[in-house]
Formats: sequence, C-alpha cells, structure tokens
Amino acid sequence: MLANILVTTLVNGAAYAMLAVGFSLIFGVGRIINLAHTAYYMLAGYSIFTLVRVAGLAYVPAMALSILLVTVVAVLCYKLLIDPMREHETTVLIITIALALVFQELMLKYFGGHFRSVPGVAEGSLSILGVQVTRQQAITCAVLAVILAAVWLLLHRTRFGLAVRATAQDMEAANLMGMDVSRIATLTAAVSAALSAAAGALVAPLNILEPHMWLNPLTIILAIIVLGGMGSIKGSIYGAAIIALSESLVIFLIPQGSFLKGAFSLLIMIIVLLIRPEGLFGVALEGER
Amino acid sequence: MLEVKNLTVCYDTAMLLNEVSLKVNRGELVGLVGPNGAGKTTLMRAISGLVLWERQMKRGTRAGNITLTGEVYFQGQRIDGLPPHRIARMGLVLCPERRRPFSELSVEENLKAGAYRVRGRRAYRDTLELVYQMFPVLQKRARQVSATLSGGEQQMLALGRALMTRPVLLCIDEPSTGLSPLIKGELFAKIGEINRSGITMLLVEQDVRQTLAMAGRSYILSHSKIVAQGKKDELMADETIRQSYLGL
Amino acid sequence: MIRVWLLRLYRDFKGDILALPGRTLACLAVLALFIAPLFIRDTYILRIITLTAVYAVFAASWDLLSGYVGQLNLGHALFFGVAAYTSAMLNLHLGLPPVLTIPLGALAAVMAGLVVGIPCLRLKGQYLSLATLAFPIILKGLVYLFKEYTGGELGISGISRLAGSRLVECYIALALGAVLCFLIWKITDSNLGLIFHAIREDEITARASGINTTAYKLLAFCLSGLFAGIAGGFFAHYMRLAGPFTLDVLLSFQAIIWTIFGGITTIYGSVAGVIILFPLMEILRAFPEIRMLLFAAVIVIVLRFMPEGVVPWFLDRVEKECPRCKERNAFTRTRCRVCRVSLSEREVRARTTTRA
Ligand SMILES: Nc1ncnc2c1ncn2[C@@H]1O[C@H](COP(=O)(O)OP(=O)(O)OP(=O)(O)O)[C@@H](O)[C@H]1O
Ligand SMILES: [Mg+2]
Repeated sequence: MLANILVTTLVNGAAYAMLAVGFSLIFGVGRIINLAHTAYYMLAGYSIFTLVRVAGLAYVPAMALSILLVTVVAVLCYKLLIDPMREHETTVLIITIALALVFQELMLKYFGGHFRSVPGVAEGSLSILGVQVTRQQAITCAVLAVILAAVWLLLHRTRFGLAVRATAQDMEAANLMGMDVSRIATLTAAVSAALSAAAGALVAPLNILEPHMWLNPLTIILAIIVLGGMGSIKGSIYGAAIIALSESLVIFLIPQGSFLKGAFSLLIMIIVLLIRPEGLFGVALEGER
Repeated sequence: MLEVKNLTVCYDTAMLLNEVSLKVNRGELVGLVGPNGAGKTTLMRAISGLVLWERQMKRGTRAGNITLTGEVYFQGQRIDGLPPHRIARMGLVLCPERRRPFSELSVEENLKAGAYRVRGRRAYRDTLELVYQMFPVLQKRARQVSATLSGGEQQMLALGRALMTRPVLLCIDEPSTGLSPLIKGELFAKIGEINRSGITMLLVEQDVRQTLAMAGRSYILSHSKIVAQGKKDELMADETIRQSYLGL
Repeated sequence: MIRVWLLRLYRDFKGDILALPGRTLACLAVLALFIAPLFIRDTYILRIITLTAVYAVFAASWDLLSGYVGQLNLGHALFFGVAAYTSAMLNLHLGLPPVLTIPLGALAAVMAGLVVGIPCLRLKGQYLSLATLAFPIILKGLVYLFKEYTGGELGISGISRLAGSRLVECYIALALGAVLCFLIWKITDSNLGLIFHAIREDEITARASGINTTAYKLLAFCLSGLFAGIAGGFFAHYMRLAGPFTLDVLLSFQAIIWTIFGGITTIYGSVAGVIILFPLMEILRAFPEIRMLLFAAVIVIVLRFMPEGVVPWFLDRVEKECPRCKERNAFTRTRCRVCRVSLSEREVRARTTTRA
C-alpha cells in the first residue's frame, strides 16, 4: 500500500511537474493562460499510438518524432492564433479552449472514443529499496526527472534562460536590453509545448488514451500553478509533489476516492490560497498593479 | 549622432508629440526639460522604438491606434520603424522612467541581463567591474532580489544595467525621482562621469537647474513641441522662457 | 394623459432606438424571438428558444461579474448548478412549486456567491480565476460521492414542470430572460456599474477614493450568483433534471465563450453571443460527427479576426463615435446627432491638434 502510494506519487508528480512548468513558462513570458496546454499532452499520446501501432516504429523514435510534431503544431497555433490576440486576454482564453476542443474532436473523429493503449519500452518489474516498481514506471520517472533538471539548468544557467526570466518580469525593459522579446516568446512557447508533449509521450505507456484526457490534468495543473505561485518554476515542482501525493492518498485510502481526487487537490489549493494568496513560492510585490 | 526630424506621435486622436526635431552630437550631454505631461517620456519611447512596439502589441484595439511620422537617424542610419531590440543593439539604449528593474531577479542577474548583447566572458567581466566601481552598493547587494532594493539603489541598478549594454548613446529618463538631495547630487556626479568616459547622453530631468548646469545644450519641450533650445546662459537670458518654462 | 405618455414613449423610441442601427436591430431580434413561438409548433425549436433565453441570463450574469467587475470567474457553473440542485431537491423532497423553488435556488446561489467571494477577496487576477475554477469541480466531486441524495451521475430527475405546455414555458423563459437581461444591463449602466468599472480599472485607486471595494466585490459575486441562479433553477425545472452537467467545467467555459464571442463588458454582447451560438450549436447537430469541431473552429476563426467580439466589431462598422461628445451615431450621418459636430474622417483629423 505504502509502496503503491509512493510510486504513484512519484510518477504522477513528475508528469504534473513537467506539465506545470511548461504552463508556467509561457504564462510568465507571454502572460498567456494556455488552456490548450494539456491538449498537446493528449496529442503526443495519440501521435505515439499512431506511430507505434500503425506505422510500426519503435517506441523511442516514435517518441522523439511525436514531440517534434506536436511542438511544430503548437508553435503554429501560437504564431497564427494566440500571438496576434495577446492584448485581448480573455479572447486568448477562449481561443485556447476552442483549440483544445478542436484537437479533442479531431482525435474523436479519427480514433473514436475508445480507450487505447501504447506499448512501453520495457517489460517486467524490478525492486528498488524493497519496493516493487514496473520497469516502465522506473524509466518514465527517471527520464522525467532528468528533463526537469535540464529545464532548470536551461533557465538558470544559460543566456536564453536569463532572457526568458527577464522577459517574464518586464517586457519593455527586456526589449531595451536588446532582447528580441517576440522571438523569445515564440521559443518559450515551443519549449512549453515540447515539455507538455514529452510528458504525454512518457506517460502514454502507463495511461490509457482517450480524447477527453486533457481536461483532468488541466484542472490539476491549474491547481498546481496557483498552489506553487504563478510563474515560479520551483513552486510548480513543489506544487506538483503536493498535489500528486494528496491524490494518491485519496485514491488509496478513501473508498471511491477516484471521484474525489480532483476535488481534493483543488480543496488543498484553496486552503493554501487562503493562507498565502500569492501561492507558496510566488513573490508578493507590494504596489504592483 | 542622433537626429530627430519632425517627429509626430498621435495616440488615437491625441497628439503627444508635434513635429519635434532635435539633434545630439557625439560626446555631448544634451538635456531635455519641460513640464509634466509635455511628452518627454513619449519622445524617449519613440526614439527607442517602444512606441511602435506598443502599437504592434496592441494592434486591433483602440489603444493600438498610434501613428508615428517623421524620421529618426542614429549614426547616419534611419531607425524609426526598427524594433526596440535592434535599436538597443545598435547602441542606443534607454534607461526608462521609473527604473523598471527585473524585480524578481537578483541584482547580479539584472546586470547580466543588461549584458545580453555583449559577447564574450571577458567583455562581460570588464563591464561588470566598471559598473561595480561606479556603484559599489550594487556589488554589496549582488545577491539581493532587486525588488527589495531601496529607490536610490534601484536607480543605480537601472543605470548600471543600462551601462552593461555598452551603449553608444544613453538616454536617461528622470533618474532623480524620489531620491534624497544627497544621493541626487551623487547620481548627477556619476552621470557626468559616465558622459566624460565617452558615452553620449540625452538626459530628461525635472531638476532643471542641475540639468542645465550639466548639459552642454538643452531643449525645452512643452505641450508636445520644442519651444526653445540652447546653452544654459542663452536659455536663462530669455525672461519668458525662464519664467514660464524653467520656473527659475 | 395616456396619449401624452404614448407620444413621449414614441419620441424616446425614435430618438434612442431608431437613431442607432445597433439598437434597432436588437429590438427587431427580440421582437422576432417573441413572435416566433406563436407560429412554431415544433417542440424541439421551442426548446431551443427557451434554452437560449435561459442561457442568455446565465451568460449576462457572467459578464456582470467578470466583464464589469473584472473578477474573471472560470467556475460560473457553480451558481447554475447549486441553484439547479437546490431547486430540484426542494421540489422533490418538500414538494414546493417552481415559483418558490426557483427563488430559493437563486438564494442558494447567492450564498454560493458569498462562499466563493469571501475567500476570493484576497486573490487577484489570474489567481482568482483559477481558484474560482475549483469550486464547481469540488462540488461535483461531492455530488458523485453522495450518490444517495444527488443521484450521482444521473442527477435528480422527476421534478415538476414549470407550466402545462411547452409554449407557455417558452414565453415565461422569454419574458424572464428579457427582464433579467435588461435589469443586468441597467445595473451596469447605473452608479453601481460605474463603481464596478472603477474597481476593474484600478482597485487600489478605487479604494483610495473611499469605495469599499471589498463590499462591492462581494455584492458583485452575489448579484451574479443571483441571476445565474435564477437561470439554473429555471433550467432544472424546464429540463426536469438537475445533473452533474450543471456543474461542468465546460458549462463554465460556455458562458465565457458566449460572452467573449459576443463582446465582453457589454451585456448585450453576451446575450447576442448566446442567440448566435446556441442555435448554431443545435443546427450543427446535422453533422453529429464534426459538430464540436465545427463549433470550435467557428469560434477560433471569428475571434481571430474580431478579437473584441462580434457585436463590437459590427457596431464599429455601422456606428461611429462622435469625437467631441462621445455619443454614438449611425454610420450614415455626417454630423453628430447631439452636438452637430462634423463626423467626416478628414475633418476630424484636421481638427486634431495639440491638446493644450
Ligand atoms: N498611452 C497613452 N495614451 C494616451 N495618452 C498618453 C499615453 N501615454 C501618455 N499619454 C499622455 O501624453 C502626455 C505626455 O506624456 P509623457 O509621459 O510623455 O509626459 P512627460 O513629459 O514624460 O511628463 P513627466 O515629466 O510627468 O514624466 C501626457 O499628457 C499623458 O497623459
Ligand atoms: Mg516622463
């Protein structure tokens, strides 16, 4: 039981963290609440499914190709539909919802509403420190952790990362420092989508695929973002850990818990917000309007 | 070095700059003074490309109905119409009104962000050293999050960050707002120092006395027009100008 | 006496409504909606008209809170669902008639407004939006958990009908919809609306000018909850069902889609959005496979080119604002109908000089 809770928390937590970090990034740089973010996650799952089951590719190349494909689609959407609307915050909201619906319906049309599954890279299980985990879970978790670390390094140790963080703070000032803000925003959109797609591709073998699979993670990452403090990468990771843990606790400890997992995560979010309105790691800047 | 010809800027139906022309030569420190709401900040933003950028960002809305006519030349090249980052990379850098630090970044990261277009570690180190020499406080506070700096420190950070870009022409918009007289004096000394180190400057200020004293030439902007220009003595000699625009 | 009054009415009508193409068209549309049911015997179409009226109130109440007060509420379905469930339970268990259950349901929605509003007072901007998103989802979790009382996934069914015939129900909905939407619009047009606007633009300054922003924000939550609640209770009785659908995220998003499609912060925009999009969605049932796809595509494409919504886009084409007195004029006019200043583009430009 305990082992189950632990493993589920780790795998889900890492996946959520990755989704949340991507969401945070484009929110920070572009002030865009991209409700289509988890639709990219779903697209990646279906893309892998097609490449593996229909085209007969191996899992790893299929994954790389899917991430690439989804990123290209996402950047196109960003450039054509989201970027030109940036000033109209609420319109962006609607456009991204509509985009997610478009993707959902396309998947419904081509793959139907049935549950689908993707084969993993590895069979069997192994025991780490006395806890039984399937190989697939272990690999997924490790790769997710590596990618998260890479993102952190990208943001804090590179010129591009600095530009991203500076742009998120003050676009005009970033402009004046010679940063090409719109290029940075586009690149950020690409990174963000790639993270979402990678998360989708990595957990695809562990989950079932269905066209509505974007809605649940969306509400959960929104909770994570708010919990951790918007635009804070560290906050996203801690928030993901908290939410994932609470989720697995609810599922394993409460009868019929799976109905309640979303509600419970959101309840935690609201409680945290009541205590710290700017989230756990958000910076409350007085006088900022 | 910088030449503005008949620059007119309209936001929707309001005209914020009306046929403004001005010139800054290499090595000069030119002052720009005028009452509140004259359009000084707008002029700075127009020169540095932010007005057009704002138009592009807000296209499709009422606030995006901005027209800009006239010409701006920098080092012989026409720059009106260029995006702000291109203008900044050419060496025309604006240190904006209200300082605008990257508030959640540390002081050092702010300076690093300023050096975004500076290639090479050596060049970066040298400039950083120079800035730290000029503003020792910044070195002391290097790890502090810039939002928590005091107003004066933030101003120094803004100046330091602008210097990190290795500007050819530095435009500074109201550096002294909110500073104590003592720090203000210090700041003006630094600005003079920067100018003498070979950086051409266009300085917008409310402290008219100081600005006129420091600047080789000054322009007076009022109601979106340039109403007078010249050396301190020339401007002070004219009674109308002195009383109605300078308040001295 | 009556003649004078009628004359006055006619003059107002001519001056304020016929003078502007937008208003004339709105009047015609409402008139058409009221007349249409008389000639329609098809219950399916009657149903569409009824639901359009109900959703119009729902969307307008969202616009009141999110558009005018700027408290972007992503969980508006909460009010709708709370009222629907409350009305249904009161009707089923206590046997109260709809005349009582709908107001009581709306009252429950007002309470829900308080419950959401009080914690959300501390939150700003996007934090607030995302927190509000949470409430209906939490409630939905509870609905599933307490199956015995709520009917779980199936919801509560078998509630009494509003009236004997579909036609009467349709007229009740239309009348209620027209009155409530007009009321919401009047609120936004009053002093209260001005205060809401001030809070949206700059809360700190509003507070500094002596406006008790906390109280007004709560009031906005309650008002919005009240109207959405009436819509929700009505819906439950009309459908004779209160199901988890009424708490769905997608229903919350629908309110937002309708409003933004029509034009946010206008009220009439949200109503127009419903009148256009809801029947469209039904027409698209002809293509069941790609219905949602077409719907979403229409929204994306339309908003891509009319980012401020359909109605403002349209009004900008058929009306122009007088540069001097800011009154609106039909596009055919060359002089402002109020201050007589010339409206021609060239003269406006020429007149624009420095503001001194
Ligand atoms: N985006 C805008 N839209 C409309 N009017 C604007 C806009 N920005 C500034 N203004 C107006 O233009 C005028 C000039 O503004 P500007 O900021 O250039 O003045 P300034 O000379 O810098 O004044 P100060 O000395 O107070 O800083 C002001 O009256 C201001 O209200
Ligand atoms: Mg200014």
